[in-house]
Amino acid sequence: MTGSSDLELVELFQKGNEASFNELVRRYQEKIYWIAHRFVSDHDKADDIVQEVFIKVYSALKQFRGESSVYTWLYRITVNVALNALRKQRIRDFIRIDEFFETADDVNEQPDAIFEKNEQQKLIEEAITKLPDKQKAVFILRYHEELPYEEISQILKTSIGGLKANYFHAAKKIGDYIHRAHRTHEL
Amino acid sequence: MRTEHMNYDLMDYVTNRLTEQERKRVEKHLQNCVQCTAHYNELKATDTVLKQSHSAGPTHVYYATILPRVRERLVSRRRSVWDYSNNPAKIILPLAVSALLLIFLIRIPTDSYSDSAQADALHQAVKDFNEDEVVLAIEKEYAGAAFFPNLEVAASGVAEHLQGDKFLKSAVSKQIENEEIAEMDIEGMISDLNAEQVDQVLSGLSERNRI
Repeated sequence: MTGSSDLELVELFQKGNEASFNELVRRYQEKIYWIAHRFVSDHDKADDIVQEVFIKVYSALKQFRGESSVYTWLYRITVNVALNALRKQRIRDFIRIDEFFETADDVNEQPDAIFEKNEQQKLIEEAITKLPDKQKAVFILRYHEELPYEEISQILKTSIGGLKANYFHAAKKIGDYIHRAHRTHEL
Repeated sequence: MRTEHMNYDLMDYVTNRLTEQERKRVEKHLQNCVQCTAHYNELKATDTVLKQSHSAGPTHVYYATILPRVRERLVSRRRSVWDYSNNPAKIILPLAVSALLLIFLIRIPTDSYSDSAQADALHQAVKDFNEDEVVLAIEKEYAGAAFFPNLEVAASGVAEHLQGDKFLKSAVSKQIENEEIAEMDIEGMISDLNAEQVDQVLSGLSERNRI
């Protein structure tokens, strides 16, 4: 089954072969994990997104008609789940900060975090976190995932011109943020 | 002659993702455009920083746990859907409210209404979205044969409730009032909302905060 194409795996699943879903998970889990992690900058949250994506994929696989490639479809689900997770996080933060909790402490850092982040990495993650959702998604898919604009356009339902503008502004903002942080550090 | 800037191609130029033809076009433009050259230098510096940064990902042990946990959650979801479909109370209440509203819509002449306190109570209950009071007020209305002037409001209130977002807003408000936050409950409630509904809830909460 490892030699089968993505589409063949989907067709097998649609015919009742459950094991083909397992192969899809194994094939894409790392990719999806990294996209999720770039959105949320946190291992546990990224893990939640990965789980949610595959549960949605499992539920929707029967309806997959091959209108886009399997991985474009998977990326679309991942981006939607990640953006939804960010929105829900904002709701929770809103309630916490305004109503109950004195400060939002560094909830992203779990004691059992697998990551060892250097300062520069943290700064970059902060810069990406502060981007508007659309710019964030475009930056992750173009810079990190190196997807062609045509595919990002299918995933985000945005024109290629719009994507290029978003990509430029995202990269500029990240650069400005890092530059400002370095200057503050120097002062 | 007006020069077209090439800002939007610069990041792809920096990361070497342009075709040969596009790359030559950008290089030619950069020779004559101070503004784009400044952007290019900034983006080049950003790319260098991004490339230097490094975070080590999870090990293969983590990836080996994904599939079993997905399978486990799929089984548990199937079980909870089964439990839900076997719990009549969860289905009967919304159906009963909808049925009552339908009876009203069919039986009550639209030009006939009273300005009774009951109507006001119903209106208020729908506005506040207190589910118990909505049901009670509708029952009273029905028993008293009094007519509610804003039945459409009630209907749309209940319809929105059935979609979930008003219910979430109400539940969040109640939890805030009680000074008890059950994050998991809220998470469960919002898990079925689409992005637009989540945005509505968020803006609802913002409004509430302003008040």
